[in-house]
Amino acid sequence: MLEVADVSKRFGTLEVLRGVSLSVAPGEVVVVIGPSGSGKTTLLRCINLLEDYERGTVTVDGDPIGYRLDRRAGQRVRMSEREIAAARENVGMVFQSFNLFPHMNALQNVMAAPVRVKGIPRARAEARARELLTMVGLSDKVAEYPVRLSGGQQQRVAIARALAMDPKIMLFDEVTSALDPELVGEVLAAMQQLARAGMTMVVVTHEMSFARDIADRIVFMDDGLVVEQGKPDQLLFSPATDRVRAFLKRYNDRYRI
Amino acid sequence: MKEFAPLLHGYWYLLRGAGMTLLMAGAAILPATACGILLAMAQVFGNRFARSAVVGYLFIVRGIPLLVLLTFTYYLLPLTGIDLPPFWGVVLVMALYYAAFMSEVFRAGILSLPQGQWDAARSLGMTRRLMLQIVIFPQALRLASPPFVSLCANLVKATSLVSIVGLWELTMASREIVERTLAPFQIFLGAAAIYFCICYTLALYGRYLESRVLHGH
Repeated sequence: MLEVADVSKRFGTLEVLRGVSLSVAPGEVVVVIGPSGSGKTTLLRCINLLEDYERGTVTVDGDPIGYRLDRRAGQRVRMSEREIAAARENVGMVFQSFNLFPHMNALQNVMAAPVRVKGIPRARAEARARELLTMVGLSDKVAEYPVRLSGGQQQRVAIARALAMDPKIMLFDEVTSALDPELVGEVLAAMQQLARAGMTMVVVTHEMSFARDIADRIVFMDDGLVVEQGKPDQLLFSPATDRVRAFLKRYNDRYRI
Repeated sequence: MKEFAPLLHGYWYLLRGAGMTLLMAGAAILPATACGILLAMAQVFGNRFARSAVVGYLFIVRGIPLLVLLTFTYYLLPLTGIDLPPFWGVVLVMALYYAAFMSEVFRAGILSLPQGQWDAARSLGMTRRLMLQIVIFPQALRLASPPFVSLCANLVKATSLVSIVGLWELTMASREIVERTLAPFQIFLGAAAIYFCICYTLALYGRYLESRVLHGH
């Protein structure tokens, strides 16, 4: 479904990604963990080309997004802005800071892109948007503007907004990190529901217990590299590398009550 | 009250002058706004060449007093053989001059939007054009509207300079009445009151827009 092949990215002299490869099967939920600065967020942003990268390619369902490999020349070619925009329709993304459009109410936030990007008739897009908002438990908030919604509600609108484009895969970038602790649960529940419905997901998170619950596979990144990956229980309870052990020990020490 | 007799005598003339002032300001504000938006877009989204051209233009305009520019154009236009009525010549200069300041206002509006707005729009598959149209501009214009209105008030006041190049408007009208009535204090007090009313109305409107921006919907 998703193929990330040897992606490298630098900010100035800092190498953020050093040849990351990752493949995600249809319906699979991959959770990416690792210390801050390890490149998790940058990896997600490179997948739909919110961040440009110097080397490597990404494909979704075999279709390139961002760079196409020119076999004859043996090098990658950047797609046109229009092609990239079209390719991004297949990849939904939810952000740490929600990023709802503040001048649109919840319903307008969800239906804007289907109507304006995909050209779906207004009535059908609205019906679908209401359906999605109901799914994330916000059927009574369709007419509210983002300023009047709590962080958890805003984030659930953002999930509905991304789903409204019928993406093949969803990316979640630390979506609960900006939330008050008591609002985290409602967002995680919406994601859980989505995972159970068979959505292909790549999730960057610091919520370890959630990672364990939702993940089919956990990927541990450090210093711009995938250090280890495996089934949740295996990676979290009997990691193969010292690096992961050290990370988990520090994590457990910090969060033990 | 006898002291204000000249004002009673000339108030209609002053109001006609004020009408001319508003006409001139209005005629300049429209193209100034259009050019300001274009300049702002060129500076934010243009290539290196467009950006430096705009920066150069802003640099020049900001470094020259409007009065000098008006006078210069007044003498220059006849030499170039361009047959432009003085009214439109003045409107053109004011529009190009204020476009520079308008562009700064709009540019600030665009740039003050958080990166997340661009990210969200792009991740939904929007092309740049659509993203500007439905996400960026509606918010940027709202943010820019209070400083935009205060710039308009500024422009209204600046029209008083054009009496120097012989155009008739409120300030010129006042000077003419003063010559006939020899009552400069009363007349200019009246003119000042009219300018103040126009600008105060704009300022109130600007403050209303600002409160709307601050408090959201």
